[in-house]
Amino acid sequence: MESTGLRVAGVTKRYGALVALDRVDATFSPGEVHAVLGENGAGKSTLMGVMSGFVVPNEGQVLLDGEPVPVGKAFECKRMGIEMIHQHFTLVPEFTAAENLALARLPGLSKSARVGSLADPALQIAERLGWQVDPNERVRTMPVGVQQRLEILKALSGNARVLVFDEPTAVLAPDEVDDLFRVLRRLRDDGKVVVLIAHKLSEVMAVADRVTVLRRGKVVATAVIGDTSPSQLASWMVGEMPIPGAKPEAVEVREGLRADGLVVAGDRGETAVRGVNLRVGRGEIVGIGGVDGNGQVELAEALVGVRRSRGPSVVQFEERPVQEAKVAYIPQDRQVAGLAVGMSVEDNLLVTGHRKPELSSGPLMVVGRVHAWARSLIDRFGIKVSGPAEAVSSLSGGNQQKVVVSRALDTQPDLLVAVNPTRGLDIKATEYVHEKIREARAAGAAVALFTTDLDELYALSDRTLFMSRGELVEDQGAVSLVGGPG
Amino acid sequence: MSRATRATVTVIGLVLVLVLTLLAFRLPVFDSLKLIAEGAFGDKFGLSRTAIKTTPLLLTGLGMVVAWRAGMYNIGGEGQFIVGGLSGAWLAKSLIGGPLATAGPAGQILLLVVCALGGAAWAWLAGWLFVKRGVEVVISTILLNFIALQLLSWAVNGPLQEAKRQLPLTDPLPEALMLAKFDRQMDVHSGVLLALLVAVGVYVYLFLTKGGFQLRLVGENPKVARSYHINPDRTHLRAMLISGALCGLAGGVEYVGLSGQLGSGFSQQWGFLGIPVALLGGLHPLLVVLSATYFGALFAGSENLARFTTAGTTLIYVIQAAAVLGFVGLNALADRRPAIKPEATG
Repeated sequence: MESTGLRVAGVTKRYGALVALDRVDATFSPGEVHAVLGENGAGKSTLMGVMSGFVVPNEGQVLLDGEPVPVGKAFECKRMGIEMIHQHFTLVPEFTAAENLALARLPGLSKSARVGSLADPALQIAERLGWQVDPNERVRTMPVGVQQRLEILKALSGNARVLVFDEPTAVLAPDEVDDLFRVLRRLRDDGKVVVLIAHKLSEVMAVADRVTVLRRGKVVATAVIGDTSPSQLASWMVGEMPIPGAKPEAVEVREGLRADGLVVAGDRGETAVRGVNLRVGRGEIVGIGGVDGNGQVELAEALVGVRRSRGPSVVQFEERPVQEAKVAYIPQDRQVAGLAVGMSVEDNLLVTGHRKPELSSGPLMVVGRVHAWARSLIDRFGIKVSGPAEAVSSLSGGNQQKVVVSRALDTQPDLLVAVNPTRGLDIKATEYVHEKIREARAAGAAVALFTTDLDELYALSDRTLFMSRGELVEDQGAVSLVGGPG
Repeated sequence: MSRATRATVTVIGLVLVLVLTLLAFRLPVFDSLKLIAEGAFGDKFGLSRTAIKTTPLLLTGLGMVVAWRAGMYNIGGEGQFIVGGLSGAWLAKSLIGGPLATAGPAGQILLLVVCALGGAAWAWLAGWLFVKRGVEVVISTILLNFIALQLLSWAVNGPLQEAKRQLPLTDPLPEALMLAKFDRQMDVHSGVLLALLVAVGVYVYLFLTKGGFQLRLVGENPKVARSYHINPDRTHLRAMLISGALCGLAGGVEYVGLSGQLGSGFSQQWGFLGIPVALLGGLHPLLVVLSATYFGALFAGSENLARFTTAGTTLIYVIQAAAVLGFVGLNALADRRPAIKPEATG
């Protein structure tokens, strides 16, 4: 039977008012490495979830060789031959390679089956692919690259026809990436449907035959790799470079933030920021664009003093250490670093507020003043809650972000550092946040706005810079986006 | 689930657990409940017994509340309790005959302070190992419990043994150093009031001070705390110090208020029992007063029950375990919050 591949037909997925996927159509053919490219939050993960039966779409369906794939039944999808290679491995660290491979084949087999015989088919595949896998080695002691091979072998040991790789290079060293690409091509030549979820342009250019670009849940473009270019892909990913329009009302720009020689380590010890110099004056918004993962978060944290710079560097505000200025911070991800989701709205406001001298007397916080202050913030910023004691987890995303924004802008800051302040918000909530940022600038704050959203970048910024591989570069249009990490 | 329904369900559940346990032990339910109630509240002696059992449970329970609220799962209350008592006994041994014996209340306070410091130091070890070396607190505190037990057994057979060197016990404290008693016929001592005061103090600290807020925030989400210049490491250490101090103080109150001397059976698992007390109290210092009283009364009452029936105090451990499991289940049910709405019009 001639395989026609995997077709996603008119798939829409809504979470509340947020449209994660908006009538997405895509065809993934055998004999092709087909990349799905997009920023974080563009809908890649949701699409992958729909293809593999983990996510039930509101509309549309997925067809494999013309046959509808059962909706929301991950196990059925696996049986039909749709296999996922997750970014977070699904291996048992204490088991050996053979045991892990056998585990993937266990369901439906008799109890008497031996580990050796179960693992054999996968080990033969490994040999064909030119991989050295010691069946008796424990997964715990294996390098990440080898663990990923096991994950791929697990997928191949069934009757895999479609292989979906979720950002497989994120955990790999450069030479491991080359080998992975070799295998992707090999699988393609064997007639498999190979889907590569990615956000790094260079990798898509290197290995994909075809690319589908997602932005805000919509398919922006599908193209053969040969007919496109990195800058073309970049602008599909993040939106058209708008023609610079009239700049907003000129506010007098005075000296503000001065950061020199910042070299900042990321969480895994890698050098995430490589020698950045940045000036942000009072009364201006400096927008810093770029693809995710180029050191933006680390730089932002260094500016607000949460992360230290290695080696000699200066972070000053008006010639004094930045710690002495009033710094407001809107962190990258409200669910992870912005909110304590187990606490009340008031407690979350207190994250900054508990340091306000007027709310306490001595070491004690004065309950009456705290309540009054929380209520006033809720009113001033229009946060929709029943009261300050309501759990922050019961708020909508927009209102949650209002909690983060309101406590940052409670008093007029000298410096505002915001990282993707509108990610995941609907249009109304986005406009609201933009308005608040403009207000802060008008009142004389220096604003450093890190955003991967080009529309946002150009709508708000007085000056734009881009971050690429840990360095700040001048805005040269779409070219600035090319050459993400790795 | 609202707070009121939750409280109601908890109370009904506790009674139910008690009844079911009695049934499982094949005891006549009504008569047994009566014996328990009489033993715990029947007369002033019963009340005294209840208060005496409640006090160490309350203090260790409060210790657990502080640590767990900060995300430090201190299982080492037992060790901190023992080291607390040991520290006091060491002070007594080295200073008795000297200035301490005549110091009166000042001597009592000094003893209690040293006990609290001893417990804090023991807990600090686990905190330090976590912050500097990433050793899980659950593991290190459990192991430190064993070390504390051995330390106790060594001390009462060695350096801290009574002057006559016959029994594995320390010398008893002179009467002047023991906490004041309200009634010569009963054991109940002023440490009971101290424990209640400490409960209020812990409440004030956790919910009304900046330091307490930071501690709770670190326990809820250390990443948020870090983003806003609150050092999670320092906060974790602080929580362990306070927690250990409270458990050490529990040991001190037991020593200076009740036993007056240490033997190898000094702690009757008070440090471990503090965990179910804290959990049942919802990690809230004032509710922990209630849960400690509940278990304290059970202890006092089941001693009475044991006098008239075949049931031993094992019964309480069964009831404790069943109550905590039930309570944890209830919490899990209540915590099935609706998934966070990704977006709605703001």
